[in-house]
Order: sequence, then structure tokens, then C-alpha cells
Amino acid sequence: MRDRAGPAAEAVTVRRPEAADFDAVVVGAGPAGSAAALELARAGHSVALVERGPFPGSKNVYGGVVYGRILDELIPDWYERMPVQRWITRRQTMLLSGDRSLTVDFRSQNWGRAPYNGATTYRAEFDSWLAGHARAAGAVLVPSTVATALLRTADGQVVGVRTDRPDGDLTARVVIACDGVNSFLGKQAGLHPDEQAAHTTLGVKETLALPRETIEERFGVTGTDGVDIEILGGTSGVPGGGFLYTNRDTVSVGLVLGLPGLAKAGLRPEEILAELKQHPSVRPLVRGAEVVEYSAHLIPEGGYRSMPRLGGNGLLLAGDSAAMCLAAGIWLEGVNFALGSGMYAGRAAANGLRSGGPAVLGEYRRLLEKSFVLADHKKLRDAPGLVLSERVQHRYPGLVCDLAEGMFTVDNPRPKPGLRRLLRRAARHNGVRMRELARDALTGLRSFG
Amino acid sequence: MADLGDLADPLVVVALRWADARARVDPLTGEVGTDPRGAGPGEADRCALEHGLRIAGATGARCAAVTLAPPPAEEMLRDALACGADEVLRVDVAPEDPRLPDSGAATARALARSIRAELGDPGLLLTGDHSADRGTGATPAFLAAELGCAQALGLVELSLVDGRLAGLRRLDRGRRERLAIPVPAVCSVEPAGVRLRRAGLPGTLRAREAVIPAIPAIPVASGQTGAEPPSVRAARPYRPRAKELPAPQGDDPRLRLLRLTGAHEEREPPRVVVTEDPAEAADELLAFLRDRGYLP
Amino acid sequence: MTQRYGDIAFEDRMSQVDFRVAGNAHIVVDTDVCRSCTTKACVHACPAKLFVPTDDGGILFNYEQCFECGTCYLVCDGGNAISWSYPDGGQGVVFRHG
Repeated sequence: MRDRAGPAAEAVTVRRPEAADFDAVVVGAGPAGSAAALELARAGHSVALVERGPFPGSKNVYGGVVYGRILDELIPDWYERMPVQRWITRRQTMLLSGDRSLTVDFRSQNWGRAPYNGATTYRAEFDSWLAGHARAAGAVLVPSTVATALLRTADGQVVGVRTDRPDGDLTARVVIACDGVNSFLGKQAGLHPDEQAAHTTLGVKETLALPRETIEERFGVTGTDGVDIEILGGTSGVPGGGFLYTNRDTVSVGLVLGLPGLAKAGLRPEEILAELKQHPSVRPLVRGAEVVEYSAHLIPEGGYRSMPRLGGNGLLLAGDSAAMCLAAGIWLEGVNFALGSGMYAGRAAANGLRSGGPAVLGEYRRLLEKSFVLADHKKLRDAPGLVLSERVQHRYPGLVCDLAEGMFTVDNPRPKPGLRRLLRRAARHNGVRMRELARDALTGLRSFG
Repeated sequence: MADLGDLADPLVVVALRWADARARVDPLTGEVGTDPRGAGPGEADRCALEHGLRIAGATGARCAAVTLAPPPAEEMLRDALACGADEVLRVDVAPEDPRLPDSGAATARALARSIRAELGDPGLLLTGDHSADRGTGATPAFLAAELGCAQALGLVELSLVDGRLAGLRRLDRGRRERLAIPVPAVCSVEPAGVRLRRAGLPGTLRAREAVIPAIPAIPVASGQTGAEPPSVRAARPYRPRAKELPAPQGDDPRLRLLRLTGAHEEREPPRVVVTEDPAEAADELLAFLRDRGYLP
Repeated sequence: MTQRYGDIAFEDRMSQVDFRVAGNAHIVVDTDVCRSCTTKACVHACPAKLFVPTDDGGILFNYEQCFECGTCYLVCDGGNAISWSYPDGGQGVVFRHG
């Protein structure tokens, strides 16, 4: 018996197999893997979809919303069949500073009607549903199986994966690694840059049970409508943010914490979360709820600048393993990028298999750049740095709350202060220099504009 | 005593119970919420499958895995195929009525009839000792009764010695009981001694593509099952009826009330008799009983 | 009013999660490296509280209730003191509300 479970540190060198077991092996049945397998299977190729959990989604955690527009291409009537908890019709961005908060609240009932915008779901249900589509199209789902190593020929061509099952070598003409944020396969292939910790955040989440009527009362929604709240601040000083969203009978509240900051702070994640839940703006929403699940997962938040090489020599990366996760303050998206990158990886691999050539990486990259997947990441390449910067994390929430408090505090008999004076005073109070503010505004404008 | 290998078409059947060990019970309605994705065989059933695979392998018998469960249980049977079972069979259950209590007798009857009809008479039928969802462990005994064969239940060890089945069972006070088990037999095993093997990749790939045969449960006429659930009209805590006391007599309401409370009644306080002489103690007891009218 | 600790005990929090414990450990810690580590970031950063400092300066680790997130090996200061991988297929944490 092996003394240690899990992936080997080194790829395994094998001789080139005479006939591959499958046209393609996709590692990981998350949204990226299932989309890739679905695309490949629909193109008529034999695909094995290897999943280490007992069922797809059993190892996965996310921060709130699946934006399904990209599914239009894969499963045209997805919104009628997807296992949805609630459709997001109300989005809030909440800035917390001390026990103050400023919330931007937007509601659109258009998002609660076909073709819809985004939905909350449980990943155990969503990922299983999507993998079910891949299976129905002909992909072979192999659950409870860890892909432990890449199989490579002496000249570096990837020809399959080794799994932790007895007789576990699985050969294929192309391997798509959608093996998540820790991507041991991508690291074996040497695709990932060092300094992963600096670009990675830890997400912790509590799923809290509340009666459906209570959720509808507290969040001001009815039927299948739901709310998604992004929170800036409230992380006890650790760079990151929070989120809160509604499911049918539960509310999920969580934190995203930068790993370097968390390591330095000496605080425990669940204590920071308990602190967030005590904030006067959050507590009334989650009061009296019972924890039904506590979960944690890493998030690759570095964006475009920290992305690994996207493959090579018969290997493609998609989803979290390729850092396809957009954390740009007002946008927190990952599942849609995983779906998109997986779909394009599958498409590029299918085209490569059809033409018989192994050169699929170029086409994959081209497809990604043409679509939102890399276009958004490229455009917002400076956003993760800005969002996690000390100023955005600590000083600006204070500045904005000072400003709001100054505006709305009635200080009679003194006359109302002018906005410019308030801004100057708030900036001084929070240690923000006007020059920095202007520069960040410019960076923000360039990224988001 | 016959050996398993002596039978014409030796068959080892493993009956697996498909259950969600983390089912949630609604505290208000008592409704049980289960998740088919989390459901599967319990550890005892997994041990039973491993025993079945070993014994079938050693005697050249066919090994079949059977379950009485809804369609999502196919995954469990695929795993059994991947581990080396020669065939599997799913017996469908009627659409689940949450009020219907599980009945070991009805399960055993449905399983026994389906196994006989589809697979033949088993030389050995293996199960776990209890199902993971707090079963009573009665189903194996009912199965033995249905099949009219020997039973050896709650085994911690099961092995083949010179082609004969030998089992070991726990007794009270740490004692053990060694059993020589004749065939055909029903054996239930505790989750002990063995672990289910990990299925190899080729077997797993074959099992993923396999068609899982399913048959509807052979309908049993009502009244014949002996398993009709008792009908529950209302569920509330047990409250005994109030004890009726005769109303006290008297004109003064205060005295009537006092009499009800028993506050001013004459009462002999309890005594503890400590004496060294047994005869004196016996006299004391007899006098007490006579005094109270229990003795003449 | 802020309160430092959550409303439920850590053990209660963890008891809500489904863990299928594998026979062999997927975390191994080289405690010799830990003795020279001053930060021991794994102790407080691990969301499952799997790492406990011992009085001789080493680290006692558990693997049974691991979320399989990977925080520990990424925050580990001592180079490769923590070798971490995935548990055997089908074992480990099973999220239902992820």
C-alpha cells in the first residue's frame, strides 16, 4: 500500500501507446470539464471524464451566482432545466467600514424572466446536472478516481493520465486538465508560474437554513427571485471581501481572504466570518439561522497576469486550473469562465482530433481571445491588484462612509458642508492622498470603462 | 453437508441496501429528506460484497449483486460490477410513500422472489448485518425464511475452509462462536475484518457502460405481506387521562380545598428498620403487612 | 457589539459536513522543518483547524476532516514542510451545498 494518497509530484514517462483508450481524457467534472467533455462527445469523439469525488460537484464550492448566458451555446434551453435555487433579480454591493455601511442596491425583474441573467444553485446539483448532459452525449464519467500523474512520452508529448485505481493508466490523444485551483497536472507539466499563494484567495462559506418566508421577508423577494450581495470590507483587515446570497431555503454567507494577508493576520477564517455576521448590516439578514454546512475552497484570483500557460504538447488547461476566475470587485465570476474555457478547450481539441494534428493550443488560445473569456480578463488585468490593494481594502470604504455620513448628518445650527470640503476631510481622515485617488480612479476607469 | 462447489450452478448473491446515511429529518413534520447522490451501501454491505467476491472467486461460483431500490441506486450496482460482480439486478420499489415504514419482511419477500425468478436459487446469500439507516437487522432472517435455508447472522468472520463455509460470531462477554455453515445459507456480516477492494480502472470503465437490468417488484397481494403500515391519524405526545377524584364533602370551601391537597391528613412517616436480629425484622415486616390488611 | 467567536462550537460546525475518511493520509508534515518555523501560518489559516502546534515546536496534523482546499501548503513558510495531495478517489469531503 502506498504510504501517501493523491497525485505524484512527477509525470510518468511511458512509451507512446499504439492505440489510445480514448480520443480525449478530461480530468475534473466541474463546469469546465463537463463543458469540454460535452463539446468533444457531441463532435463524435470518445471521451473519459475523470472525477475524484463520488459525484460531480462534491468537492466544489462557489461564491454565489452562475451566469448562464454562455450555456445558450451548449444547452439552448438551459434555464428551463438547470437545477436553480433562485434567479438573481436584486444585486447589492455593500461597503463596510467599522459598523457603518453603504449599499448600492439594484433590482431588475427582467432578470427573473427568460432568458434570465444569473442564478444561485448548489454545486452538487449543478455540476451533476451538467455532467449528466456530457454523459448523455456519450462521454464516460469515471467518478471516485483521482488523476495522479500525466503520462508523457520521452519527447514530452502528453498521452494520457495515471489514476489511483489498480491498472489505472488511461491513454488518450489529448488531455484536458480541468483539475481545479490546485491543478497538480498543470504543475506537473510545468505550466504554472511560481508564487501561487500570492494570487490565491481562500473562500469560506456557511450555508444557513432559514424558512422560505423568512428569506423572502428579509431580502424583499418572492417566488424564485433571489438576492446576491457583494461585500467590500468586513474582513477584519485581511485583504478580500465577502458575499451573501439566497437559495430557496438557505442563505449562504462567505468570505474571500487573500492568502498572504490571512497568513500574516493570525486570525482564523471562521472567526472573521463570525465577525462579519455580527455587522449591523449583515446580522439582521442571517439572525437565528442554523448552519447546515460549512465549506472552504481556494480561488485563483490573480486574473490575467497570473494565468499559467494554457497547455501544450497534447495538454490543455481550462477553468480554475487555468486561473479563469474574474475577481474584479463589482464582478465576481468564475463558473461562467469555467464553462466558456472548457467549451472552447473541447472545441479546439475536437478540431485538432479531426484534423489529426496535435497543435490545438494555438486554436484554443485564439478561441478564448475572441470570446469574453480572455477578452474580459485582459481588459480587467489590473483590477485584481487594485481591488486587493490596501487603499481599496481599507481606506476607500472608510472614505466613502465618511463622505456619506458627512452628507447625511444634520449638524444644525451649522450650515451644511460642501461636498468638496467633505471629500478633503474624509480623505485626510482615512489617509488617502488626492493624487493616489486620482490615479486609482484612472486605473479603475481604464479597467472597467 | 454440501459444499458450495458441489451445487450444479453455484451462485453467490449479495443483497445491498441503498441508503443515505446523512438523511435529514424535518423536526416539525418528521419527513425524512434524502439525497440520492449521497446514498450508497453501508460499510457492512461493502464487507458483504467483498466476502461474496472472495468466496465466489474461490469456488468458481457466479457472484451477483442485488438491491431493492429506486433508479439512482444504479451507481451502487455499477460499483459492484466494477469490483468484479458477474451480474447485478435492481428490483424497483413502488413510488415511495414517506409514511410507509420500512418492512424487513416485505423487503425480504420482494428480494427472494426476484432473485429466484431472475438469477436462480442462491447457494449463499450475503448481506450486511444492519442497514446503515438504522435498520433492525431483521431482513437477513426474513430472507432465510423466504428461501427456506440456513442462516448465520452477524458474523465477524466468514471464510472457506476446505471448501466449507466457516463463520465466527460474537457472543456476550467477549466469547466467540464458531459456526460450520451448510449451504444454501443466508449470512449477514458485521463491518469487520475485510474492506471492499478498490475497483480497477478497466473494470470501472466497463461498468460505466453496462446496462443495469431492473425488474419491477413482484406485487404482493395486500394482507399477505403482514407489513401493512399501521395507520397514524394524529401524532402527539403521550398524555395519560386525568385521574378523577371524588369531590370532598363539607360546607367550608377552604376545608374542601385543604382536603384535596391532602395537607392536614394523618400520615405515618416512613421508617427505616435497622436491627441485627433477623427474626425481629421479619416480625416487624409481618406486623406491617397485617396492619395494612395484606395478611390476615 | 462584536463577539469574537461564532455562535456555534467549531466541532458542531464541522459535524455538519460529510467527510468520508480514507484509510491513508493525504497530508504529511515534516515536523523537523516546523520546529524552525516561526510563523506556523497553517495553524490558524487552515479553515478546518487541522494543524495543532505541539509544545516541542512541532506540528500535529489531522487529515480526516480536511476540506481539501490547499491553504496549508500554500501558506507554509518552511518550504515543503507540508506535502499535500488529494485523498483517494471517492474519499474525503463531500459538499452538498457548495
